Amino acid sequence: MQTNSKQKRSSNINLSKMRKAFSFKPLALGVASVLLSACSGGREEAVVFKSVDECVDALPSMAQKCETAYKGALAEAAKTAPKYNTRNDCEYEFGNNQCQTLNNNGNSIFMPLMAGYMIGNLLAPRPYYQPMFTSSSRYSSYRNNWVGADGRNFGDSRRNKLNVSSGAFDKKPAVTRTMSRGGFGSSVRAKASWGSRSSGKGWGG
Amino acid sequence: MARDYGFHFHTMHGQAYWDETAYYQFTLEQIERDLESPTEEIHQMCLHVVELVSKSEERLTQFAIPSDYWEAIADSWQAKEPSLYSRLDFVYDGKSPAKLLENNADTPTSLYESGFWQWLWLENNVDNNKLSKRADQFNSLQEKLVNRFKVIADYYGINYLHFACCKDTDEDRGTVQYLQDCAKEAGIGDYFVHIEDIGLGENGDLTDLQDQVISHCFKLYPWEFMQREEFGPHALKANTAWIEPIWKTILSNKALLPLLWQEFKGHPNLLPAFFESDMASMNALSDVKKWVKKPLYSREGANIDILENGKMSLSSSGPYGEEGFIYQAHTPLPKFADNYTLIGSWLVDDEAAGISVREDKSAITQDLSRYMPHIIL
Repeated sequence: MQTNSKQKRSSNINLSKMRKAFSFKPLALGVASVLLSACSGGREEAVVFKSVDECVDALPSMAQKCETAYKGALAEAAKTAPKYNTRNDCEYEFGNNQCQTLNNNGNSIFMPLMAGYMIGNLLAPRPYYQPMFTSSSRYSSYRNNWVGADGRNFGDSRRNKLNVSSGAFDKKPAVTRTMSRGGFGSSVRAKASWGSRSSGKGWGG
Repeated sequence: MARDYGFHFHTMHGQAYWDETAYYQFTLEQIERDLESPTEEIHQMCLHVVELVSKSEERLTQFAIPSDYWEAIADSWQAKEPSLYSRLDFVYDGKSPAKLLENNADTPTSLYESGFWQWLWLENNVDNNKLSKRADQFNSLQEKLVNRFKVIADYYGINYLHFACCKDTDEDRGTVQYLQDCAKEAGIGDYFVHIEDIGLGENGDLTDLQDQVISHCFKLYPWEFMQREEFGPHALKANTAWIEPIWKTILSNKALLPLLWQEFKGHPNLLPAFFESDMASMNALSDVKKWVKKPLYSREGANIDILENGKMSLSSSGPYGEEGFIYQAHTPLPKFADNYTLIGSWLVDDEAAGISVREDKSAITQDLSRYMPHIIL
């Protein structure tokens, strides 16, 4: 198809990225292109340390970075780690004595202890970091694995060198305790009761 | 083929919503002179109205915007919070100036059909020699959306974004899924939550079903609904940044139309329009015989009445109207074969980005209107 500088349409659309299995079984072609893009996506080396000391021992020249990343990861953990209403719920997932209390406006909520921190791009002035958790609970699929704040499983926790996708260090949303739901959507319920509006049709224009 | 791409709202109410057996053909001059330029010009005129209304309590009242939100609207406008997209709907017969019917500035849909599906239709037909290799299309939507997401991510310093729409609407979910794909192309992570599932966290934050704080959110849900619902005040207090921003409340309101006419009376792309309180001005325009009565808040042709010589002649029923009405001079939709045609003209931020053509058997375009592809040749 010809292209020129005065063309009035998008010059190129990445079809493989747009193809989706949205409530349908993926087609063979769709699957293949997903696998392809996963292979070609950027990956990088990351290291997990269980403490600042472990980091400094391994990287004596980077003591300052070890410290900074640890503190950053700890703060990130408080924000982004999964939160539970009871210690039981938390320990069910992460194991006995693996959870801490977080006081929030006089209420207690529970989150897993940071078991380590993952550092990437060590040579950069400000390396990337993420808090890491692990589970000793035999009810959990994370047992003896490294797990990120968003529940991503990074595999066997005896390993400390990980090959992760470049997205692994992206900033994650903070996590909090939800007190109530359903405060949006009442207008739709009210207007949907009118007439014969089909359920497939939306509220946009 | 549609289904491969998640396009599964292509029939509605048993009628074809997408028709690939026919298409509309425009000249480049028609596109550039009659649609592209007026779209960008009218958008600037609309922003002028936002400036005006955001500073006037009288106008905000006339727009039926709850007073709790006035300050947030003015702040959001002053801060120039970035907008993603809009769709202006035009009556256009290919010869006379296109006339603005309304501005879908807050929750426009049929984006996927326009930006992606229509584009693919042209590529396929050209590749199969069914259309000339010189055929083009006014449709840079996808390219512009991806670029715009990058700008918005830079503005807020974010690398992820929440997306939200209502439950049980395939069409809205499809539109939002498409925008999620565009955001991903721009390198932005995406989280999805249904509007009804949004929660209130203990520090006043809004949360998704994983209890993650919703700090930045694209919502395919009208501001005028949010502003009248229980969590509405929290939408402001939570410091969530919204796309579209709250200043768009002013543009997605039919009261925009009489304000545009007041500020730019006689502009070739505008139809005379008045508030219902201003019958005197309507009667003074003796050459207008037919008026269309539109609720301040309505979408997709619902609750529209046609007033002819003081009598209602044709109307569409619907759940809107409690906030008041405006009148707009009637201009007939052009009829090609047996169908009435409506042009949706897209803007990404303030740039014209393409058109979509919809047609219907009825003179009032209803939400089951059929979507048609177009070419420029």
